[in-house]
Amino acid sequence: MVYIEEAHPIDAWQDDDNIKAKIFLHSTRTRKERCDVAGTCLVKLGIEYPAVVDDIANTTERAYTAWPDRLYVIDRDGRIAYKSKPGPFGFHTEDVAHALERLLPDSQPSAKPSPSVTRVEPAIPSTPGKAL
Amino acid sequence: MRLWHKIVLAVLVAYGVLCAAAYEVMRQTPERFGLIMEHVPDLAFIVLPFKPLWFRARAGTLNVGDPAPDFSLPTQDNKGVVQLASFRSARPVVLVFGSYT
Repeated sequence: MVYIEEAHPIDAWQDDDNIKAKIFLHSTRTRKERCDVAGTCLVKLGIEYPAVVDDIANTTERAYTAWPDRLYVIDRDGRIAYKSKPGPFGFHTEDVAHALERLLPDSQPSAKPSPSVTRVEPAIPSTPGKAL
Repeated sequence: MRLWHKIVLAVLVAYGVLCAAAYEVMRQTPERFGLIMEHVPDLAFIVLPFKPLWFRARAGTLNVGDPAPDFSLPTQDNKGVVQLASFRSARPVVLVFGSYT
């Protein structure tokens, strides 16, 4: 996971789902704040794959036009093999599985996404790709 | 021009202007976009073609086949730094961009 700036901070545009879930977060202004919130995210959403945190200048997010959420698959040559449409509407984890199957054709077929998979967690199949 | 022609034309022009304005707002930085959208009524999401405008406005400049921009970022637990290029020739990498909210 590449943790980026908040999608719906309370100091900008709060979201009804977050209000219902009692998630009230300000935009993060320091790297420490962002790391702390990222840590909460990983725990609450049960994300077990490695997570890195974008800098406060949002350099990586800008390079990938990733906000509010987005999926990419990078092949072994360091080239973009799959780029999702911008989230939330374009965030489809099954497309990631299909892209990995094309890159790793000799691997096992992708597993079905578990019911607990959320928007920020791809349906990573049992193929030797790396999720970040 | 008959009156109803003028009305239809005016509505179409207004709709086009609103779509163009929405598109431009979607191209703003996330912070600015959020501050503006806080004051936009929910009706706008029904009236305007939000999704196709969003897809176009937030398309970005990267395309499939392009070199992925390299980055070197610290892990959330501050125990290390991960560079995307380090995975080259090893295995594909899935990047999941997102946040808690």
